[in-house]
Amino acid sequence: MKHFLDVMSTALMHRALLEAVLVGALCGAVGVHVVLRKQPFFALTVAHATFPGVVLAEIAGLSFLVGGAATASLVTIAVFVGSRDPRFDSNTVVGIVLSGTFAAGVLLLSARAGGAKDLSAFLVGSILTVDHRDIVATLFAGGVIVLLLAAFHKEFVFGALDPVGARASGIPSAIDLLMMLLIASAVVVALPVVGTMLSVALLTVPALAARLWADRVTSTVAVSAAIGAASGVIGLCVSAQFQIAAGGAIALSACAVFVVSLLIAPRSPFAQHVRHGLRQLGATGRSRLDVRGDA
Amino acid sequence: MLHLLTDPFRVVFMQRALLELILLALVSGPCSVFVLLRRRAFMAEALTHTVFPGIAVAFFLGQSLLLGACVAAIASVLLLGVGWRDGRVDHDGFLVVIISAFFAVGVVVVSRGHSFASDLTALLFGKILAVNRAELVATFVIACVVVGLLVVVGKELIAVAFDPVVAVAWGLPVRFLDVVLNVVIALVVVASLKAVGTALVVALVVVPGAIARLCSARIGWMMVIATVSAAVCSWIGLAASYDASLHHGIRLAAGATVVVLLTMTFAMVAAVTAVMRVRDATP
Amino acid sequence: MSRADVALQLDDVTVAFDRDVVLEGVTGTVNAGGSLALIGPNGAGKSTLIRAILGLVPVERGTVTVLGRTPVAARLDVAYVPQGDALDSEFPVTVAQVVLMGRYRRIGWFRRPKNSDRAIAMAALEQVGLAPRAGDRFGILSGGQRQRVLIARAIAQQARLLLLDEPLNGVDATTHDLLLEVLATLRSEGVAIVMATHDLSVAHLACTDACLLNRHQFAFGPIDETLTAPTLRKTYGAHAVLLAGDSTIVMPR
Repeated sequence: MKHFLDVMSTALMHRALLEAVLVGALCGAVGVHVVLRKQPFFALTVAHATFPGVVLAEIAGLSFLVGGAATASLVTIAVFVGSRDPRFDSNTVVGIVLSGTFAAGVLLLSARAGGAKDLSAFLVGSILTVDHRDIVATLFAGGVIVLLLAAFHKEFVFGALDPVGARASGIPSAIDLLMMLLIASAVVVALPVVGTMLSVALLTVPALAARLWADRVTSTVAVSAAIGAASGVIGLCVSAQFQIAAGGAIALSACAVFVVSLLIAPRSPFAQHVRHGLRQLGATGRSRLDVRGDA
Repeated sequence: MLHLLTDPFRVVFMQRALLELILLALVSGPCSVFVLLRRRAFMAEALTHTVFPGIAVAFFLGQSLLLGACVAAIASVLLLGVGWRDGRVDHDGFLVVIISAFFAVGVVVVSRGHSFASDLTALLFGKILAVNRAELVATFVIACVVVGLLVVVGKELIAVAFDPVVAVAWGLPVRFLDVVLNVVIALVVVASLKAVGTALVVALVVVPGAIARLCSARIGWMMVIATVSAAVCSWIGLAASYDASLHHGIRLAAGATVVVLLTMTFAMVAAVTAVMRVRDATP
Repeated sequence: MSRADVALQLDDVTVAFDRDVVLEGVTGTVNAGGSLALIGPNGAGKSTLIRAILGLVPVERGTVTVLGRTPVAARLDVAYVPQGDALDSEFPVTVAQVVLMGRYRRIGWFRRPKNSDRAIAMAALEQVGLAPRAGDRFGILSGGQRQRVLIARAIAQQARLLLLDEPLNGVDATTHDLLLEVLATLRSEGVAIVMATHDLSVAHLACTDACLLNRHQFAFGPIDETLTAPTLRKTYGAHAVLLAGDSTIVMPR
């Protein structure tokens, strides 16, 4: 316990906590739209797609944010265009783009001298190495994303619930592209915290859990952001205590919150089933007693 | 020119690598057609991620990776087979939770070990050039099981994919058939671990089928085209990565080269067929 | 009449979803070679009754007997043509393959279609006048032609009871006449037909009996006795408009 407190009181850990809270809340908020639009697979793809960009940026000596954002936007546009082919469902297009870009990242990395030493940081994050510049970048990117989310809130929600109706009422399909780009930005911002492979966890799981607690879009966003931030803090503490990868611990914390929500949240289908079952059990138990009473 | 494609395979480890990849093409070709028809690309991706913790734990405990992968694959097929039918947390959402949880467990387990970075790389991206005889035999056995399963349920799977409503009315066990398809995907994933690793295996079960659909609208031909394109890309990819590292001093990961070739083939075929369509439309 | 001639026997069939009764007290029989029109407004329970006959929804009360068996046991002898255009028009199957799928349950697991199966499928396709299109992809056909292919698939199944959900909805005139002819031929071969429809003229042309439904049964019997102005008004409520004479116009909801 003393070791744990020691670790938690370092400046490094404070920065990491701040970053985890910021990214967790941001991903939680954006994640509601990922879930509403049923695009978790797309989020997964964008996460994979940042990988070659990050490797390229590393080779060129640029910030990973630049490289990740560049390839993520390219892939977003590729999926947006490719999904219009009626022969393939969007998941197939997404799957092709996903594997292609990820393989390209692996190729670049293998071609670079020095091999795989930084790979794990890209893949699963390295939150303990974030510095002030990373936090400022997160704050800036997060601010822009939140502003755009708020500005186009009603268009985003309309488009998610009724794509055809939204088109008919004059909302351009560019709004879908904007949403996909926002999802991509959130993935890039989450890179240092959970890495490419696990950013989808922060982008969907808190939102899925939040849907079990709230029934309005705005309240779902609030709950989801809170769950995201809490997952970041819990995961970081667990990882410091047990010396395991922070990215994995944060993703697992989010999943744990989801499971707990499934068990106790008021709108959880599972909890409703259990309550319904208990009520029926109670009813049949009573009627059996009645029969016995008659006899 | 041709010697570039044949010379690398004078070396034994390259022969083994090619044989492994061709065995995989024979199963992933037909499998990818069913994945396309039944729209299971996301499920395939999910299974590649859920197999990862099995390998990680097996690696950590010093057990056979194949065994670990099989255990994790069975567990995830059962979990995903339970399925989810609810508006608030839809099926894709449920998949993502499982993907995240399983993969995170894998990462956490690997991070407890000593050589985190290099272990993670090998598990995620495979080591095709290190394939040995025992692994070839294992791939062959898995290939036989997969082809057997597809022969048994193939026509029923197609019927369900085409018209699920009537398939249910006919009394076809739709859920059971989907579980069988998931088992097939999981087996292909497990078999491909050594060749391309968990992170890239989804390419083998999605891309060949999509290439085939671009070329043909006949299921029989699609199976042939998918298998052939997977095999040809494997061959050229292996040769290219060998040649690049031997003669040009550029190291290209073999498995990743194959996958990049597959997706580039898809892009090229898509472009060519699009141009042909436009030309047909304008007389 | 012997029991073997009864294709479908409904006895006080009641279906409920989560204690919500959606269909109540349907009682009647359809003989081999007979044809029954299920008539009622949208949401009246026509599709639910068809699903009950297929054994896809459990009945809360009463019994459904298909060819002397339970619905699930009789599935091999029941063909079903669902409503509408829900099929993926890019799906890579030929017209011939779609019709051949009607044989799959008879062929069984493991085995591949034999030449006799292919011959039966081709004959069915011939019957709906689409044999020349056998090699075309299903998705490029027109709506009416697709409906004919799906009927051919049902014919290829060689069922004793054929269930159709709005079979002539939105089809072209050629398909309309041809399908009426096909249904008549099937009946002369002893196939029983049950079709859900809200087109009263189709019901008159294709069916001998009618069952008027709106949550519960308003009439069941020979079409001339059941499809009358009073019963229609009862079934459709305010949506039935009585015109001069005895003809009733039903305004679809």
